[in-house]
Amino acid sequence: MKHSIIKLLVPLIAAAFVAGCASSGVKNPSGVPVTRMNADEQGFVAGTGVESQDLVAVTDKMSRSILAISQIAGATTPVVIVLDPVNNETRFPINKDIFLSRIRGELVKKSGGKVTFLARERMAALEKERNLKREGAVTASNDPQKQEFKGADYFLTGELKGLSTRTKAGTSDYILYDFHLIDARTSAIVWEDNAEIKKQGLEDAAYR
Amino acid sequence: MEFHFQRALCLLLLGSVGCATTPTHHVALTGDILVDGPKMIAEGPPRDKVLWQYRTAAAAMRRGDFATAKPLLDDALLTLGGIYGKDAEARKSRSYFSREARKTFIGEPYERSMAYFYRGVIYWMNGEPDNARACFRTAEFEDSDAENKEFAGDWVLPDYLDGLVTTKLAGDGSDAFKRAKRNSKNINLPDYNPKANVLFIVEFGPGPVKYATGQYGEALRIRTRSSSLVSARIKTDGVNLSVAPCDDVNFQATTRGGRVMDHILANKAVFKAATDTAGDAAIISGAILANGGHRRKSAADEVGLGLILAGLASKIASARATPEADTRTWENLPQFISYATMSLLPGTHNVTVEFLEPGDKVVAKLTKQITVNIADTTRDKVVFVSDSSTTPQTQ
Repeated sequence: MKHSIIKLLVPLIAAAFVAGCASSGVKNPSGVPVTRMNADEQGFVAGTGVESQDLVAVTDKMSRSILAISQIAGATTPVVIVLDPVNNETRFPINKDIFLSRIRGELVKKSGGKVTFLARERMAALEKERNLKREGAVTASNDPQKQEFKGADYFLTGELKGLSTRTKAGTSDYILYDFHLIDARTSAIVWEDNAEIKKQGLEDAAYR
Repeated sequence: MEFHFQRALCLLLLGSVGCATTPTHHVALTGDILVDGPKMIAEGPPRDKVLWQYRTAAAAMRRGDFATAKPLLDDALLTLGGIYGKDAEARKSRSYFSREARKTFIGEPYERSMAYFYRGVIYWMNGEPDNARACFRTAEFEDSDAENKEFAGDWVLPDYLDGLVTTKLAGDGSDAFKRAKRNSKNINLPDYNPKANVLFIVEFGPGPVKYATGQYGEALRIRTRSSSLVSARIKTDGVNLSVAPCDDVNFQATTRGGRVMDHILANKAVFKAATDTAGDAAIISGAILANGGHRRKSAADEVGLGLILAGLASKIASARATPEADTRTWENLPQFISYATMSLLPGTHNVTVEFLEPGDKVVAKLTKQITVNIADTTRDKVVFVSDSSTTPQTQ
């Protein structure tokens, strides 16, 4: 009887032992499914730098704030705005155009036609096209000799400034997102708003 | 009965042996880092990916292939920037029975700083000086947690270039300049010339390497490799500029001080030694008891057998403990990094960069010929030259 139990148990224990180890050393043996996240939510991969949820929160706040100013809310003709690149003074390299691009998108969507943006970054291509029309190389629907490139009423620009601390307790990064609208005629800053985000993190002791 | 136990033991051992295998990544290496690097990044152990990205990026930059270096550094810095919080491999690397080297490599602070420094240079080359400044700031930041605060954030060149970018962007770079000056000690840093349109980043000498010491290799140490090079000289269009080193990577690597991980490894070493000694003691005591001339199957025999088994378990635990320090090294770093600025007219310029030993003795075999094309007058021209750069080169 005892021998039979042992005969049965030994292979079972051995099999369980080996089977239990089958996936050892294999990371995520079942795989990790693709997780779709909203751009404004913090994912499971996070650092202390500028991330999509910051971009969305900051640009949403800025576009709402700009739309409320009298120069735009009370405009009878569309206000013409040019984007001037953001100045990055943080310790994080970023794609600087992404903030202004999203603010522009939000303003165009929500302003009901009260705001027009000029594609100054496309000027080289636009001038080339105009010159082709002036030379008669391509057709023109109106007089190409007429100057129709618009001038800006306002410049929309901003600055990202940061304060960073690193101690045994971890890393702390504070970023001030400051945006302003400048009157192109008078250089007066007619609107300014900012958003602040602070993040802290501590890496595993193996990296400290 | 004995037969079954033996069989069971054999099967369990077999099972254990099966468990001991972990995924292996066999990649045939050629010795050419620009061949091996991409292969190791794609097919090598994921934990070493960042290390190979660092190495390959540095090698690519020395060939003037900045387009290859850029995405490698970007990806490495992405890993570096997202290292916060729980990490299963890092946690395991702290355990008694896992090597430190199983954690994802991101490098020691001097290696991280150099990764950011190189990326900053490429940002500047590509006409993004403020992103370059961001990288120089993070390079300094990575060095800010040194054990001895005297050596925290004491890189010279990142601070100097931070201030230079700020000055060029019509800001006030004086704070960064003061910090650079304070840390530069014997180097005479010139005032900023915002009108200088060409920036040379020069590096030379072999950088530090890591090794392990201590009874079980649990103590991480840095070995500095000697170099006869002490400076460089840039010659072009009647310009003859001496370039003294701004930063010594060896100094940065050796002044970081202790790591938290060093304490963990020391504990592992103590555990390994203690379990080894306890195992010896238990086995010897058990053997003495079991062979003490008592009658067969006495209580002393059983206690002796128990002690032997406990001793064996202790010896196995000792054998499996892994206090070895992680010595993976970004070994193609330079010893010295420096810079020079000058004003050059748009067009093509033939530049000669010489590397000098004491007494201004030129090491002819290291002399580089660089053709510098200045086409875009709206942005700075950044030229990167290493004593191991390929020559001739066009940038």
